[in-house]
Amino acid sequence: MIQVEHIEKEFVSPKKYPGLKGAIKGLFSNEKVHKLAVDDISFTIDDGEIVGYIGSNGAGKSTTIKMMTGILTPTKGKCLIHGVDPNKERMVNAKNIGVVFGQRTQLWWDLPLSESYTILKEIYNVSDEDYKERMEFLNEVLDLPDFFDKPVRTLSLGQRMRADLGAALIHNPKVLYLDEPTVGLDLVVKDKVREAIRVINEKYQTTVILTTHDIGDIEELCSRIIVIDEGKKIYDGGLAELKETYGTRRKVIMEVRAVQQAKDLDWEQILGKPADTFTVEGDEENNLLSFTFDKNDLQVSDVISAVMNEAEVKDIQIQETELSEIVKAIYQHGL
Amino acid sequence: MGKFIRTYLPFTSNSLKQNMAYKGAFYLNMFCSIFAAFINYYLWMAIYGSAESGVLAGLSKNEMVIYVFMSYIVSSVAMVSMSRAVGKDIQKGDIAMTLIKPMDYRMSLIAQSLGTMIYRFILPGLFVWIGLEIYRVTGLGLPAVRISNILLFLLSTFLSFMIYVLFEFCFGMIAFFTTYIFGLEMAKTAVLSFLTGQLIPLAFFPEAVQRLFDFLPFSSMLYAPVMIYLGKYTGSTLMFVLARQAVWVVLLYLLGSLIWRQVVKRLIVLGG
Ligand SMILES: Nc1ncnc2c1ncn2[C@@H]1O[C@H](COP(=O)(O)OP(=O)(O)OP(=O)(O)O)[C@@H](O)[C@H]1O
Ligand SMILES: [Mg+2]
Repeated sequence: MIQVEHIEKEFVSPKKYPGLKGAIKGLFSNEKVHKLAVDDISFTIDDGEIVGYIGSNGAGKSTTIKMMTGILTPTKGKCLIHGVDPNKERMVNAKNIGVVFGQRTQLWWDLPLSESYTILKEIYNVSDEDYKERMEFLNEVLDLPDFFDKPVRTLSLGQRMRADLGAALIHNPKVLYLDEPTVGLDLVVKDKVREAIRVINEKYQTTVILTTHDIGDIEELCSRIIVIDEGKKIYDGGLAELKETYGTRRKVIMEVRAVQQAKDLDWEQILGKPADTFTVEGDEENNLLSFTFDKNDLQVSDVISAVMNEAEVKDIQIQETELSEIVKAIYQHGL
Repeated sequence: MGKFIRTYLPFTSNSLKQNMAYKGAFYLNMFCSIFAAFINYYLWMAIYGSAESGVLAGLSKNEMVIYVFMSYIVSSVAMVSMSRAVGKDIQKGDIAMTLIKPMDYRMSLIAQSLGTMIYRFILPGLFVWIGLEIYRVTGLGLPAVRISNILLFLLSTFLSFMIYVLFEFCFGMIAFFTTYIFGLEMAKTAVLSFLTGQLIPLAFFPEAVQRLFDFLPFSSMLYAPVMIYLGKYTGSTLMFVLARQAVWVVLLYLLGSLIWRQVVKRLIVLGG
């Protein structure tokens, strides 16, 4: 189990002034800029969960991950990873965790990948049988043999990311931290990485904490998300609930014969609802008529049957609110 | 112990391999430093030539020849720099990548330096050494060096290596507290060439200064093994010099641990 309790990180850096004059001024001034990157965040995560840790750029995601992995000391508060405080017992904690920072590699730049893995095997004290079994599994889900003998610096971004993910899993960690593991990957590799994460979580009950800007990662992997904004936690709950609660907007798009004509009908009267509860749009080029409304105000079926009464409908398409829109709304206004 | 060796041995063997791979830079470096050694040699020959007595600061002209080249060997074998790598790791935040693993950053650096040390011991070390011994017997007409001196010299050189590397680790950590590591590096190189005895044997300094040097680790980095090789230390003095080297290994190790703890506490890994 992971417990994060009132964790806080304040960065203090010397104030900088613009220009040459500013640089000289900076030499003599003692002014400091304080930046509260993580502001009193608490949560607990159970074993085997996959949690999406999301927020806009600069929200404090990486800072939180760094504190949880023990490479950054919190200004206040603490976290316990399986009962171990990573800042007090770094070595003990390090045995329990695997980390991938999408932006940098934990592999040895000049060494062939195979040698990096051999070193890791020794560092984590993995037995020969375990190593063999683990490698068979990793080779299968990550296609490592394709580039296993190449020096890490020659790997492409996608290959390196897979190599890094494999490296973080050699010792079968209890907790896996992934800071933007899919950044810059092509669709196929992205799928592979997601698939690997899912399989690992199922097979070994590994707890996964994942930050990402890719909504697809969240939709495909996470059952729970924690949203932070300007260092504060603003949402923590199930993905399904989030969609249920905030994803109530529906859009019904119908292909009809005379779009303009259909659009100009008195829909307020036909649907029996005030005009501000729905919007009607017409796309004459494609013969599309669309209704956007909240499912608490109107039923999708009512809208469809009403339209079918008034016009000849050839095709119907129903859209739910996309998760990305919900997330965007959270980032912009909070909830 | 077995696990310890298995964990860090790959770092050593890899740095050995890398040294072999980047030969070009190495040869250039070697050429420059051996050139410097020869300049030093001719300088001393000129000084001895114009001196009234054949023995200066306890060293005869022949001993000075050996001093110049042996100190060249020790400085290239034992003085394996890593402070720049440490500084870079800290400033770029790559250090975080070792912090997330159950491994000791300093140990991995020492293991790496060991690889370089082994490489340099063979090249140029052994070659210059054998050349010097041949010259000593045929050119200078002196008896060859005693086996016991060789063994003591090797032990002392290894201790020198440890002292230097542990010192470098502390020095590199300073990068964390300043942003001007480059200037510090330059200053360090200049100061070290004096304080270790690489440029001038420490016996040439005034008594009072030499007393001061006794309390610094630098004489243990180069002067000690070279003087042992020359057979200048015997009996209890020899024991004392070796013990002092060992003490410096321990002290610098502890100092490094202390600084390391401060650095980790204040470390800010940028990016992400
Ligand atoms: N060393 C530092 N000194 C000062 N401020 C910092 C430092 N590191 C991070 N910050 C600030 O803290 C805030 C949080 O940064 P963090 O890297 O955690 O964001 P993030 O959520 O990971 O963003 P992104 O999605 O862009 O990766 C940012 O405003 C950043 O500018
Ligand atoms: Mg980030």
